[in-house]
Amino acid sequence: MTTGPAIADPAARSRAPGIVLRVSELSKTFPGTKALDDVTLEVAEGEIHALVGQNGSGKSTLIKVLAGYHHADPGAKAWLNEEPFDVADTADSRHHRLRFVHQDLGLFLELGATDNLALRGEFLLDPLHRIRWRAQAAVTRELLGQFDLDLDLNRPLAEATPVQRTVVAIAAALVGWEGGPGVLVLDEPTAVLPPHDVNRLLEIVERVRSRGTSILYVSHRLDEVFRLADRVTVLRGGRVVQTRPVAGLTTQTLAELMVGSEVDAGYRAGLTVAPDRPIVLRARDVRGRFLAGVDLDLAEGEVLGVAGLPGSGRNELPYALVGSLPGATGRISVADSEWQPVRKSASFDIPLVPADRAGEATISEFSVKENLTLSVLGRFRRFGLLRRRSEQELADKWTETIEVKAASPDDLITTLSGGNQQKVIMARCLARDPRVLVLCEPTAGVDVGTRQAIYEFIASRARAGLSLVVSSSDTGDLLALCTRVLVMCNGKVVREIAGDDITEQALVHAMEETEQQ
Amino acid sequence: MTANTQLQPTAGDQPSPSGPKGAAPRWRSDLAAGLSPRNIGAVYVLIVICIVFSIWAPNTFPQGATIKQVLDNNAITALAALALIVPLSARVFDLSFAYVMSLSGVTTAHFVAADNWPVLLALLAGIGAALVIGLVNGFVVVIMRIDSFIGTLATGSLVQAFISFVTNDNSINSERLSGSFSTMSQGSIGGIIYPVFYAVIIAAALWVFMDHTATGRRLYATGFNPNAARLADIRVNKLRFCSLLVSAGLAGFAGVLLASSLAAGSPSAGTSYLLPGFASVFVGATVFKHGRFNAWGTIVAVLMLGTGVVGLGLVSAPLWAIDMFTGVVLIAALSANSFERRNLLRGRGTGSRWLPVRSRTT
Repeated sequence: MTTGPAIADPAARSRAPGIVLRVSELSKTFPGTKALDDVTLEVAEGEIHALVGQNGSGKSTLIKVLAGYHHADPGAKAWLNEEPFDVADTADSRHHRLRFVHQDLGLFLELGATDNLALRGEFLLDPLHRIRWRAQAAVTRELLGQFDLDLDLNRPLAEATPVQRTVVAIAAALVGWEGGPGVLVLDEPTAVLPPHDVNRLLEIVERVRSRGTSILYVSHRLDEVFRLADRVTVLRGGRVVQTRPVAGLTTQTLAELMVGSEVDAGYRAGLTVAPDRPIVLRARDVRGRFLAGVDLDLAEGEVLGVAGLPGSGRNELPYALVGSLPGATGRISVADSEWQPVRKSASFDIPLVPADRAGEATISEFSVKENLTLSVLGRFRRFGLLRRRSEQELADKWTETIEVKAASPDDLITTLSGGNQQKVIMARCLARDPRVLVLCEPTAGVDVGTRQAIYEFIASRARAGLSLVVSSSDTGDLLALCTRVLVMCNGKVVREIAGDDITEQALVHAMEETEQQ
Repeated sequence: MTANTQLQPTAGDQPSPSGPKGAAPRWRSDLAAGLSPRNIGAVYVLIVICIVFSIWAPNTFPQGATIKQVLDNNAITALAALALIVPLSARVFDLSFAYVMSLSGVTTAHFVAADNWPVLLALLAGIGAALVIGLVNGFVVVIMRIDSFIGTLATGSLVQAFISFVTNDNSINSERLSGSFSTMSQGSIGGIIYPVFYAVIIAAALWVFMDHTATGRRLYATGFNPNAARLADIRVNKLRFCSLLVSAGLAGFAGVLLASSLAAGSPSAGTSYLLPGFASVFVGATVFKHGRFNAWGTIVAVLMLGTGVVGLGLVSAPLWAIDMFTGVVLIAALSANSFERRNLLRGRGTGSRWLPVRSRTT
């Protein structure tokens, strides 16, 4: 795909001094959506090039295509150091000069730094093929020494701090690369770092650049972009909005580029909560992993959004509220009950629709019906046995109410699309007749049409008096549904936006600005 | 709760999606799916085994005596395998069950032989000893959170040590054991020994329990996706704990029958059931209900393996042929299952394409 006369012209341009990585006409189509649309990206020699965009803008898809994890659509062109390479070919040897540190770092936490680096590069062997541990340790020390990393090389990395692990991952990605032109891709390296460690990591990134390596820096956090990057490429909806020097941009303008100035015509439920509605859920001083004391009140019929960047506590708060976050502390009360510690919150029977559908929600070996009725099986009991007919009736009732498109309720749940699976999981939770329902990423992996249907369904339930907590990284969810949004940062609620003030700009600004404090 | 009635959907009178309109083809396709080799592969293997041996040994194999021999030889294996269904459904391995069989057998034999207890009381004592081990297993696996594979192997080892310590590795023999104690397993109705009936009764009970009770459904859910089960308000740890009690109790019963059929309390009698038990229950999971450990599938698997072994005996095959037969059948049956699982996992991302098993186009 990358050979032929068509490339003559861009190839000539890529010979212009200093372009290390160049991709153009890069598209990626998933069934139903176009994740990347005609993307062009140029990374110059020795530059730190930021890649920013909202959730779902195609950042991670672009990185995965570059890494060879996804196959790009035919027609994409790519050059690395003026040599064309085939992005559609996953077995390509591009990795010589194009290295990646993915968000999960890809380290073996049970092993020490020495092993981790050696597994990426090579083990030094003596003639009898035994590992020369002393020499290996010396090599490791030298590699990590470039980054002033003080670390016991043989302790498992699980015991290291997050920033130490990130540095080891960067060092591991650079193993066998003696500097010189090439690109290191860092995907959200600071997402889960505590604030005081971020500076340390940014210094390291600078140091890698000073070796002559270009860096493609993917981040949610705009302050880091301003501190580090020379140029920035903004993605929105799978398209490149703009690539421009960072100098001259402000947080405001960059956020607007990410969000888009056009009024987005997405769904709005337009829910309102009368001030006299009773409070059905109170939580006080909820603490735990990534949570540093959260208070919240939820009124009847209210849809309360939880926004925040990864690591802000947004993902953890829902689990704490339903009593499924190990080690969480705090008090909770539902419908004026006695205060209970949150770890006993399970007794309030608050269902949660998790974000990770395959891992925490669906049982892939079960049929649609079995998945749907799982949490209310006790109701079909007569003389200890399940009444199949009652179960079938409940399943039919709900598949109809929530419009699950399945050939038959006896089909395996994996035969359904993501959106229909999500509907089944929501039905499973609602079948419990809860007063409060907690949703995590309600439309992740859901196609556009079904997304609308899910929004409408949630809104109708809220109008009927159900209270919801919606935690989402997708501002579309929050805009569509919420009457009030809590913006979280470092485990605390730092801002509350309500009613008509909930706009995409306001949300993005709140998340970004609070990040800089 | 009463305040929330408005949250319930209105019960529609409309026909369900799988209503009368699609009933006839549904019925037919269900029958086709039910008879397909994917569903009852082991039954076809059993038929093939019968045909092969009928041709190979036309004078000895196709006889009523062969059926009786298969049933007699395998009733206790079936009971041992059935004991494993409940914990395995919750993805808990109970490797101690074979040692528990020895323990309950020795315990019962001891009380009958040495203290002349009535058989029923001694039987209860044997099962009680087994249940104690079940409690220990539950403590080790659920409360101490030790991996069940290693944890129950360890408790099994401790049980064996205890048996050897108490019995000095001597079998308990006494003429008292050949009285009503041995009738429990050697008596027969219509030429078929009692343990066959016990196995059928327990299989039926397990079938009802796993397929027709809420607890059975929750056990499967626990095994397939414990995280999802937990969020669906299922008490995963309690189920796992209880499943180990069930397997210990059933293994205890099987162990007493084994001692009764030997008319002796042998300190290592149960050990030889470790492999056949697990083999049968895993092959059984490929039959009738894809990927679910189930009672009737296990019975079919026991019969299939047992028929092969009896057949090989009738044609005077060398001893190694029996082990080879078991190994080949196990790998064949389980590879078919894992192949299907792979497709199932692949199907997660791509919709129905990989899952032709029971889906149909409308």
